[in-house]
Amino acid sequence: MRIVPQLDTYPKLIAFAQTPAGKVAAVAAFAVLLRLARMPFGSIRTPVVELAVIVGILSFFPQHRRLLVSAATLYYLVRHAGSLLKLDFIRWVASWQGIRTGPTLTVAAAVALVAVFCALGLYLKIVGQHRHNLLGRRPVLLLVGSYVCLLVAARAAPHGVPRVAAWMLLAIVCNYLWFFAYAVADYTSKAPDPYRYQIGTFLPFWIGNRVSPTPIGKGAAFLRRVEARTAEDLAVTQLKAIKLLFWLVILNVVQTVFHSFVYGELPHRLATFWQSHHIPFPHLSVPTLDDALQQVATGKTVPAYLAWAILLSHFILVVLGTTIGGNTVVACCRMAGFRILRNTFKPLYSANIAEFWNRYYFYFKELLVDFFFFPVYVRYFKKYRRLRLAAATLAAATFGNLLYHFCRDIHYVFQLGLWGAIAGFRVYAVYSLALGVGIVISQLRGKKIERATLPFYCRVIACVGVIVFFCLLEVFDYTGRTDSLHMHFAFFWNLFPLVR
Amino acid sequence: MDDRHKLRDFLADLLRHKGDVDGFADSDLLMTSGRLQSIDTLELVVFLEEKYGVDFAERGFNQNELDSVDNIMALIGAN
Repeated sequence: MRIVPQLDTYPKLIAFAQTPAGKVAAVAAFAVLLRLARMPFGSIRTPVVELAVIVGILSFFPQHRRLLVSAATLYYLVRHAGSLLKLDFIRWVASWQGIRTGPTLTVAAAVALVAVFCALGLYLKIVGQHRHNLLGRRPVLLLVGSYVCLLVAARAAPHGVPRVAAWMLLAIVCNYLWFFAYAVADYTSKAPDPYRYQIGTFLPFWIGNRVSPTPIGKGAAFLRRVEARTAEDLAVTQLKAIKLLFWLVILNVVQTVFHSFVYGELPHRLATFWQSHHIPFPHLSVPTLDDALQQVATGKTVPAYLAWAILLSHFILVVLGTTIGGNTVVACCRMAGFRILRNTFKPLYSANIAEFWNRYYFYFKELLVDFFFFPVYVRYFKKYRRLRLAAATLAAATFGNLLYHFCRDIHYVFQLGLWGAIAGFRVYAVYSLALGVGIVISQLRGKKIERATLPFYCRVIACVGVIVFFCLLEVFDYTGRTDSLHMHFAFFWNLFPLVR
Repeated sequence: MDDRHKLRDFLADLLRHKGDVDGFADSDLLMTSGRLQSIDTLELVVFLEEKYGVDFAERGFNQNELDSVDNIMALIGAN
């Protein structure tokens, strides 16, 4: 029995969705479900009306889809420049340098953004013309390498305007870095999309307010392969989006109930309702993982049963949050006419660690695979199959993972200095290393096990093992720079009182 | 058996290993549709290196070129 009806398989509905009335109904359903799928506890507020208007226009003019996507993305950039360009961070840097943070600074950021887009256009042209030399074969390495060099050099820039300019450049490129990387990779192919289409893939409008450097929907090369070509194709893709949103609404309810029951925190409206009716709300009052970590930092211990409850609750909410957040973006992208895969797809069904990683955050994994795994895999240790696999996996899951977060959180480099930012990264380094090693072992073992032939009970045991591994890993999933490694290990040992 | 058949057999084996016994056309996008994953691409890379001497380090690696039988045949032909 399916909880969500298979809308995209009903012939009459598919036919209706191709008519003008059907398109209006699909956009209306999309808007209502998108509103319901908004996460009540997160700070993210999806701009439902804007998205509905944009996908409405795209539904009626599919022949101009790519150009309209670029236009919508530029509109989005202007509308949400504050979060997309990290304007708060730029103002913060400027105030530290004693520079006024008025409208001039915003104009300077806009000019810098135009300069970045022009420079990228030029770079893409050069890459396209020199496919067979170093620049053409390793363009992403040069792009990301340049960014890292600038990040390293920015703190050494002369005080005042030059330093603000360097950090402004970093802040602007920061969220775009991996979107640019996909565009550059596309220009190494024989028939890349023109730049006017590439622009629509840089923090595209379908991200809503979920500003993340992970390109959900990858780049132009991927999008042109999954783009709806016919009216029927578009109707099916949009029905898939609506079906996905249905599922996300259900998950949203589950998340709200679970969060409220475990932590005793209710969304504002529910809390008001409960208080006005003087009904006590039953809850467990489990501390959050952050609170528990602060507690162990002061030398207190947490009973093992409670530590496991804390960790399991945290893990379930992280998985639900990632599923809802990422797949909302997927649903918006599908409504625009691109039949992309889900970002999270039945992660708890994974029978090994590598499979979980693939199912849990697909587009982040794809980023690491595209830009770290394969470049290493096709170049090094080719005669040693196991070593080759291990090196490429560690390059992606460990090094790439660390580099991605280091490039993302540039404010720590400004705040703590280069060494401080690197040294403070120790907790996440443990996380990345454990993840990398786990995936290597899983991949090496996975070849021997044919998943389809596993008996049911073996599969259940395997799934539980994977969940426990990722639960334990959550203890170290901390990308901040203030916590000590000791603090996280102290909590970790609370989970195993007999070992401690 | 010609190259196309060998390749189809190889891809069918990869899919069968994952419990996917549905057929596929030469133009079907197996990666984009999610039927094959990155880990399967590894097997394919090794297959192309060993059987056809494709050197991805030399020619550049693009996952899109491995997405369908037609694309892979074009890659083999260009090698």
